[in-house]
Amino acid sequence: MLERCLEARPVRQIHRALRHGKVALLCLFVTIIVLRSTIGAEKSGTPEQDFDEIRDHLHFRRRAEPRRVLEEAQTTDATNINNYNTFDPSKLMVDEEEDEKPDPNKPYSLGPKISGWDEQRANWLEKNPDFPNFIGPNKPRVLLVTGSSPKPCENPVGDHYLVKSIKNKIDYCRLHGIEIFYNMALLDAEMAGFWAKLPLIRKLLLSHPEVEFLWWMDSDAMFTDMAFEVPWQRYKDHNFVMHGWNEMVYDQKNWIGLNTGSFLLRNCQWSLDILDAWAPMGPKGKIRTEAGKILTRELKDRPVFEADDQSAMVYLLVTQRDKWGDKVYLESAYYLHGYWGILVDRYEEMIENYHPGLGDHRWPLVTHFVGCKPCGKFGDYPVERCLKQMDRAFNFGDNQILQIYGFTHKSLASRRVKRTRNETDNPLEVKDELGLLHPAFKAVKVSSS
Amino acid sequence: MGQEGFTAIKRGGAGGGSIPTTNRLSGGRAFPGIPRGRQIHKTFNNLKITILCGFVTILVLRGTIGVGNLGGSDAEAENQNLIEETNRILAEIRSDGDPSDPDDTAEVEINPNVTYTLGPKISNWDEERKAWLDRNPEFPNYINGKARILLVTGSPPNPCDNPIGDHYLLKAIKNKIDYCRIHGIEIVYNLAHLDKELAGYWAKLPLIRRLMLSHPEVEWIWWMDSDALFTDMVFEIPLSKYNDYNFVVHGYPDLMFEQKSWIALNTGSFLFRNCQWSLDLLDDWAPMGPKGPIRDEAGKILTANLKGRPAFEADDQSALIYLLISKKEWMNKVFLENSYYLHGYWAGLVDRYEEMMEKYHPGLGDERWPFVTHFVGCKPCGSYGDYPVERCLKSMERAFNFADNQVLKLYGFRHRGLLSPKIKRIRNETATPLEFVDQFDIRRSVVGGTDSKSP
Repeated sequence: MLERCLEARPVRQIHRALRHGKVALLCLFVTIIVLRSTIGAEKSGTPEQDFDEIRDHLHFRRRAEPRRVLEEAQTTDATNINNYNTFDPSKLMVDEEEDEKPDPNKPYSLGPKISGWDEQRANWLEKNPDFPNFIGPNKPRVLLVTGSSPKPCENPVGDHYLVKSIKNKIDYCRLHGIEIFYNMALLDAEMAGFWAKLPLIRKLLLSHPEVEFLWWMDSDAMFTDMAFEVPWQRYKDHNFVMHGWNEMVYDQKNWIGLNTGSFLLRNCQWSLDILDAWAPMGPKGKIRTEAGKILTRELKDRPVFEADDQSAMVYLLVTQRDKWGDKVYLESAYYLHGYWGILVDRYEEMIENYHPGLGDHRWPLVTHFVGCKPCGKFGDYPVERCLKQMDRAFNFGDNQILQIYGFTHKSLASRRVKRTRNETDNPLEVKDELGLLHPAFKAVKVSSS
Repeated sequence: MGQEGFTAIKRGGAGGGSIPTTNRLSGGRAFPGIPRGRQIHKTFNNLKITILCGFVTILVLRGTIGVGNLGGSDAEAENQNLIEETNRILAEIRSDGDPSDPDDTAEVEINPNVTYTLGPKISNWDEERKAWLDRNPEFPNYINGKARILLVTGSPPNPCDNPIGDHYLLKAIKNKIDYCRIHGIEIVYNLAHLDKELAGYWAKLPLIRRLMLSHPEVEWIWWMDSDALFTDMVFEIPLSKYNDYNFVVHGYPDLMFEQKSWIALNTGSFLFRNCQWSLDLLDDWAPMGPKGPIRDEAGKILTANLKGRPAFEADDQSALIYLLISKKEWMNKVFLENSYYLHGYWAGLVDRYEEMMEKYHPGLGDERWPFVTHFVGCKPCGSYGDYPVERCLKSMERAFNFADNQVLKLYGFRHRGLLSPKIKRIRNETATPLEFVDQFDIRRSVVGGTDSKSP
């Protein structure tokens, strides 16, 4: 046996050596791969990069032709620096200083506590009769506040819709004697996003004592009833008017029981106090995230995300109803805020059956495109539906303005206008059907001289 | 031993290191020279190693490429689809064509024999207007001693060729809203082509006429281009200076009458009194406007007669200069204003903003602190401008922030720099904000000046 073993030895040895060699090589290979995937090798990159490269290569091959054509077309532009299409907007704005870092130990506050604002304001109004807070018998001075980011929208047509939206607001406010403040400044970096309106509203209330009501309106909300005047008398004993339903807020604790996209706030001490009570869930970062969890837990149907001003207001009213509830009016008789989803398909039906001036489901005052986010890259609804419906809502409102001058859009989807009546050599005899040309709510007080 | 060994060797002819002739001899066995038990063992070993290697391979692959990434390519494709869909919709929105418009293709032929008119001739507008004002005292043309002004501006109804154009339209309208709120002026922002024939820069003519006739309570109509920005928020137009005039425009008499220059005046910012004279001037101004052969031919006449004018179709500015030069009787009621920048050509102004902030103050309206900075030639809504894009846009941003600083002053803020969208505090919050309102509200200084009711 030994002899046999010895005889077979060299062959066996080679075999064994080979096998060992194979195993060793295999182990070495495996080690290298594992090391590469974890630590990564500078020049040759990780396998993930390889994968990406391969994918890109395949993609590139598929789209090589068109891309090459586009690039060529651009480089043959003789006056490249005069061409807006080749300009990179990110080069435009310059950030010159550092953001101020808030003190983490101090609790957030909108500003120093003001008490006695009602007296201060009353004194000021007395001393300044040229700036009355009521511009008519039942007509308070109203400031409509809206705004958008100072940077260009991420979505290429976002700014165009912002222009149309502000034109729409300019038209309504011109007819109703309301002033507009278009905000493009972030007053407080901690309250960014939907919370940015709180420091802004406080600042405007305190800087404009002549304003009786501040009307906040989101940039994605449009006026669709140009003839409807807000029933100011109804709110003489209230300070905060929002669209919503008492049952949905107080009984169901539903997070969409009210809407903070369009609301009225009286300029008074009570309002400053409720702003202070509203603000604590706003500061971005840990506070807002934690607050979001509380809100999702406490409110019905609320999805999981950071605290927003609307949910915070529902929570505030639900938990402190006895403190704030009596001065809050949840209006549902007309669409101070009208959710677009249930309104936009019915415009033609409305035109056929009803008329402007109703403000409710028959002819909504405001159509609010919640969730569309036309300025951002992604919204909660399909892009096409959102943009096309925004065009329709805009035209629906614009028709009411154009008819004053004898024009109308060719259709709710069309940008073009056509005449509804011929020019005449007697322009002052023209009938003003909707009464919007010289509306009663714009009439100046006739002074008895 | 010998026999066994012989047979073993013979059978193991394959097992000794030479090429295994497996199938025939061993009947399927891998290593025919080896005893059966051993063989099974060996097979097991190999299997084990194979499985182990396979396992390790899977682990390694998963660690590097990852299963998630394969799913990631789906999300990537979805993203790509979304972007393509958006682009398609954008292209549709941007295009001027209207799928629902049956008249789109059928263009009405302009008959060159019929003179174009803005509307039926009105000859008694002054009397009509006065009668209306008497009948409607609640819509007076003077409020608190100040004439009622209507600022008119506009832009095309479709999105700009480039998104940055729309962004600057938005900033420009915010700028106008701020000035007009402070000075009690109403705004009409036009997004409709009222008259297909007078499109482009001529579109303001039918619009102005329409607004004059519909709003007799308006005393002055102020047209302002969408690329003009207010840069002096305090300055107010000295309307009393124009009591004997009906048309106020920025311009220079010597450039007009001696040099006949095509930029002797600027129709980007001007005021028209609401009266018969203005209607007549508009009627006399319009004939060069109708697009097509009329506008082209008129363009040639204008280039031939005005100094420095390039060859292109007739524009409203050149046409007005030509009209005023040819029919000098119009000049009786035209005021060529140049003591302040009712229109301020941007190139000579935008670099000096920092110097202005250092040396001067708002309210001057002239070269020390321009009333209006007008970005002629920049054309941010189109694809090409007459100047480098970066210079134009940066200058517009600077002008916007320069003006915005004057508005934010009341609230205690200013921009961090003229190119910065962010703001910084210049005044701390206080528990008695009204003292600053008295000090910084621009309207206080404006109203207090004209009103004699101050105690």
